Amino acid sequence: MNYAKQTSPYIRKETSVKRMMVDVLIALLPVVVFAIYRFGWDAIIRILLSVVIMVVAEAIGMMMRVMVHPSVKGFKNRFKARFEKLTINNVTAPLVSAIIFAMIIPSTLNLYVVAVGAFFGIVVAKLFFGGLGSNIFNPAAIGRVFIGLSFASQFKYAGIDAAVGATPLGAVKDAMLNIPTVLQDYKLIDLFLGNIPGSMGEISAILILVGAAYLFIRKAADFRVTLSMVLSFSVIIFIAAIAQGSKNLVETTLFHVLGGGLLFGAVFMITDPVTSPYTRPGRWIYGLMVGVIAAFIRLFGAYPEGVAFAIIISNMFVALLDYYKWSTNKYSWKFIIGYVVSLAALGLVAFIGMGGLN
Amino acid sequence: MIEKTKCLPDGKHERKSQEVIHYLEADFLYYPTTDLRCPAGESCVIDGQYVKVGELIGTRKGAFFEQPIHSTVSGYVVGTEKKIHSSGQTVDCMIVQNDKKYVLHESCVPRTDEDIEQLSKEDYIKIIKDSGLSGLGGSGFPTYVKLQTKETIHTVVANGVECEPHLISDYKLILDKAKEIVEGLTLSMRALGATKGVIAVKAKYPELAGVLESQFAEFSKFDLEVKRVGNYYPAGWEVETIKSSTGISVPPGELTAKYGVVVFNVATLYGMYRAIRRNIPITERFFSISGDGIKESKNFRVRIGTPVRDLIEMCGGYTENDKPKAVIVGGPMMGNSLQNDDLIVTKTCTSLIVFDENVVEPEPCIHCASCVYSCPVNIQPVQIMNAYKERDKEAVEALGVNKCIECGLCSFTCPSKIHLTETMRQAKRFIRK
Repeated sequence: MNYAKQTSPYIRKETSVKRMMVDVLIALLPVVVFAIYRFGWDAIIRILLSVVIMVVAEAIGMMMRVMVHPSVKGFKNRFKARFEKLTINNVTAPLVSAIIFAMIIPSTLNLYVVAVGAFFGIVVAKLFFGGLGSNIFNPAAIGRVFIGLSFASQFKYAGIDAAVGATPLGAVKDAMLNIPTVLQDYKLIDLFLGNIPGSMGEISAILILVGAAYLFIRKAADFRVTLSMVLSFSVIIFIAAIAQGSKNLVETTLFHVLGGGLLFGAVFMITDPVTSPYTRPGRWIYGLMVGVIAAFIRLFGAYPEGVAFAIIISNMFVALLDYYKWSTNKYSWKFIIGYVVSLAALGLVAFIGMGGLN
Repeated sequence: MIEKTKCLPDGKHERKSQEVIHYLEADFLYYPTTDLRCPAGESCVIDGQYVKVGELIGTRKGAFFEQPIHSTVSGYVVGTEKKIHSSGQTVDCMIVQNDKKYVLHESCVPRTDEDIEQLSKEDYIKIIKDSGLSGLGGSGFPTYVKLQTKETIHTVVANGVECEPHLISDYKLILDKAKEIVEGLTLSMRALGATKGVIAVKAKYPELAGVLESQFAEFSKFDLEVKRVGNYYPAGWEVETIKSSTGISVPPGELTAKYGVVVFNVATLYGMYRAIRRNIPITERFFSISGDGIKESKNFRVRIGTPVRDLIEMCGGYTENDKPKAVIVGGPMMGNSLQNDDLIVTKTCTSLIVFDENVVEPEPCIHCASCVYSCPVNIQPVQIMNAYKERDKEAVEALGVNKCIECGLCSFTCPSKIHLTETMRQAKRFIRK
């Protein structure tokens, strides 16, 4: 009998990265099915295209990273040696990124633009950084922002009345005050059910919430980032609505939370653990940053929508939040007071910015 | 998953109902003259001398204490041999050939109630020191050193939690020796001048609380209580046990006596009862053999010094497949793995677990932070790992790697199967250099 050279602990939990990824895929399922139901072949083709590009690019990229021993000769053998190093997570992880990417683009987007975005997202944002676990930016968000900036004129949403604007949010943009008039075109219940134009996966709030419930029950995602993001976003918008003297404070806030990519980003994009901080307070702060930046872009930015930007900007601060001199997993009074005070201060900025002092 | 992992698959259920085999047939018994804490040792008997149960046969010498060695059988001393200690070290062992008569040594005379009334604190310390009693929960720390404390102690906690999976020796001991344990607790309270005694057991074993509480009537002079603590891991870690049974939080790394609390394992208290009441050192302990690498799992009550190979044989030996086996002394979370099964049952051995080797290939870390959430001492294993990979001594130290108790939860919970606990050990060695 041979003795195994192992060290404690000798038992491991029944869990894996694969299970986590598959859980995210299952949580995405209702959204994907709804997108296919709403947009038909347009959706299917765009999802498949981004899946193929991302999975193949990841496979090639990861295989190129493998050092094959010089004694292995011949292209076929060397290819085999590289191929054997791939794991199931080299398929599931880009699959998740690809589906998320497909869900945040409009159904009418030109196919070559989809291809460029997917390729840029996986290669530049993920593989250049070292593949699974090493990327500091969310690949889907990077892909979306890249094509959003490079092919701005390509973004047209089906079913939009040119007079109203790009999306329901585009219309609100110019007239925060006039939400009641916009709401005549798009009722809150439509936003909730997904009966509106918009990016493929972002339109149905209820299905996103179904996915969120699954993710959080299965503990495949951390509820703290999502909660913190939605909370801080709502607070800022609420304060901005007060500053505008709006009569329907709750309706305005709900309209902003349900409209656009906020919920989808909060449930599926910032919960990506790879680009999240390590600690509980860090995750609350990260969520706060994304929520506030998203709100500020909506209120003051040149774009009607900024969840992807907000995520990318906040990703840059993750390493800072995790710096060993202050990162801790314990909640302290310092953290709680700091969180509330920063949210209040940013709310004040929003209040002044929206003309609340006039 | 991204959560605080507290519950482990416990593997105790089937073992609890199994009967305990009282094994007295070992032909030779082995007594290590050195161990991890005591690098030197000597014997005070000569080859061929007849020794009896409870007779002093040697001394282990540590840095600041000495530990007497007692024979646990009667028979002739027949020399020395190298055997494996539960720490994995090879140590010199004295051998006593068992005549299976179990003649008790003359010094083992029980004390009466009056004798015990008259004992002073110094007497208690001397008796415990002479009995060679040490922390039987696994630490092996000499018990008399704990009794010597200068602090005022108000509470003695008996730790019967045994939170590691697979282990049932404290469970069986409480069921078997409840009265003796409670008496041991009252004796330790007298020795320390404590007013309160708390016995901590797991909430999911009401039978233990019941059997202990039924003994309290006899000791109505003392303020005793059974506290049923959580079913999580590591509920049996000193700091957690004190927290959940008395509400006092002791910062990890500090002496519990400073906060007026002393913790003894229930087996240690049983040893205290034997040493003070009956004047016999610990001679037996519960020992279980389990795991998927062994043909049949069994529970034993064996004399200390019994070679484990005898017991493995009684279990039918190892399963016959060509997988390498992990042979573990202690629990599956914190136990030592051996490279040789020529092991001797010492006072602190609780069980032998044999697993077929299960090779897990680590995946890249996905920053899920399950290890951070699960860590009972609130350090960040993943950040320590990253800092250690960078060989950043300052960061490894600042992240508090020395607080790590090596409970194994970080490795256990990792979805990428990264061996964080081993990395923590390496990081500790790294900053010591």
